[in-house]
Amino acid sequence: MSASDQTPPVNDTAIGEQTVLDDHNDSTTHFGYKTIDKEDKISMVAGVFHSVAKQYDVMNDLMSFGIHRLWKRFTIDASGVRPGNKVLDLAGGTGDLTAKFSQLVGREGKVILADINSSMLNVGRDKLRDKGLVQNIEYVQANAEYLPFEENTFDVVTIAFGLRNVTDKDKALRSIYSVLKPGGRLLVLEFSKPEHELLNKAYDFYSFNILPKMGEIVAKDGDSYQYLAESIRMHPDQETLKTMMDNAGFEQTSYKNLTGGVVALHKGYKF
Amino acid sequence: MSVFTSFATSKMAEELLLPQAISATLEILVNKALLLNQNKLLAIHTLLGKTLTVKVAELTFPLSFTVNAQATQTKVIVSSLTEGSECTILTSLSTLKKLKAEQQITQLIKQGELDVLGDVKIAQQFAVIAQSLDIDWQTELAKYIGDVPTHKILQFGGKVTRELAKHSTQVQADVGEYLVHEKRLVVTSSQIRGFNQQVSDVSNDVDRISERINKLALQLSTNK
Repeated sequence: MSASDQTPPVNDTAIGEQTVLDDHNDSTTHFGYKTIDKEDKISMVAGVFHSVAKQYDVMNDLMSFGIHRLWKRFTIDASGVRPGNKVLDLAGGTGDLTAKFSQLVGREGKVILADINSSMLNVGRDKLRDKGLVQNIEYVQANAEYLPFEENTFDVVTIAFGLRNVTDKDKALRSIYSVLKPGGRLLVLEFSKPEHELLNKAYDFYSFNILPKMGEIVAKDGDSYQYLAESIRMHPDQETLKTMMDNAGFEQTSYKNLTGGVVALHKGYKF
Repeated sequence: MSVFTSFATSKMAEELLLPQAISATLEILVNKALLLNQNKLLAIHTLLGKTLTVKVAELTFPLSFTVNAQATQTKVIVSSLTEGSECTILTSLSTLKKLKAEQQITQLIKQGELDVLGDVKIAQQFAVIAQSLDIDWQTELAKYIGDVPTHKILQFGGKVTRELAKHSTQVQADVGEYLVHEKRLVVTSSQIRGFNQQVSDVSNDVDRISERINKLALQLSTNK
């Protein structure tokens, strides 16, 4: 299947000059390029991650040529985290960010690794325990839209490569805003829209032709990586996500494109 | 070095995530060195939870070293986070090498080559640890390639190092001559100063002419 064969659904909504992929119908949402009932998305996304959990880290290294480690380091550097802080690593998966945060917040601090998917959480917990990181980490299975924490709890909340899988992103952003302490910051690391047309085309070719094949060979699941490529294209672009964060109440929102916009780090504060 | 530093400070370097690549590489190297260290009296545990930030003039980003205990092993996390740092040192790449000797810190501060903000003891403790590292490179290398090749390589390496040290001044002069005069790839600092002076002179001349034109225009308008 070539990149040009990939046609996103047509229910787009114009906001100002940008075209935003509508994610707010009452009963439907997107699962890659498919339009599905909102109720089904959680179980369908869960199916993807149950399937890939064990090979997740290997596939991340292969797919990104290891650059995902630098993207995550960039996120840590932008977090402003300090000893004693309380950090929520949302959709934390196999715990790459949690591992670093745990060492930076020290014994007085705490890191909560939260993920909606039990398989990912189990892989993450095993990995971190094998590394000897046990003192200040808690594991919580949670839906980003309904975070089971008290208001004003966290100094930093991160969600890396997770927001695009959330059914109602606006609700999730409001939920995150609620659990952040005043002065706290949210960091959203997510695939985004490449800045240059040439890069965009190369990226499309890679995503739709090579990625699913890689998934088929390594994780024995090409469909999940086809979903990954489609879900990236359906995710709001840089400006749209920034607007969504503004609408959720975040202040001083900004974003930084990484690797030509293949990935963007959005940052917003609660004051 | 100047090529590296000018690249390291560019926006392109930031987009290519160079700061993160450098901190990741340093983290691997530092922790590998700690793992290979044979000095059992190394007092790194005294720095648990402490962070030293190094701001090098040639780099646009800081490098912070946080000591952390992970299971039975002490590890150092390298990042660009400056929040929560107990000690920050501001220096240049050339001075960094001298910092390994703890007793030089005061001297370097006096000479203006080093600025320390926060708890100077933290910087001193890091320097002591760097100085106390005892790594048997020969044994480590021999594990991978065998005793005889290791001996030969180190013998050859030692010979090359001695020869280079002997001829380093000459080599530096030759390379400089080649790059500046023969290939004209780089300019000397005096040429840059001369160029800057010429730009300043032109700028001053333009200002003077502009002032004179304004005066003449004023005179013309008042004569009318």
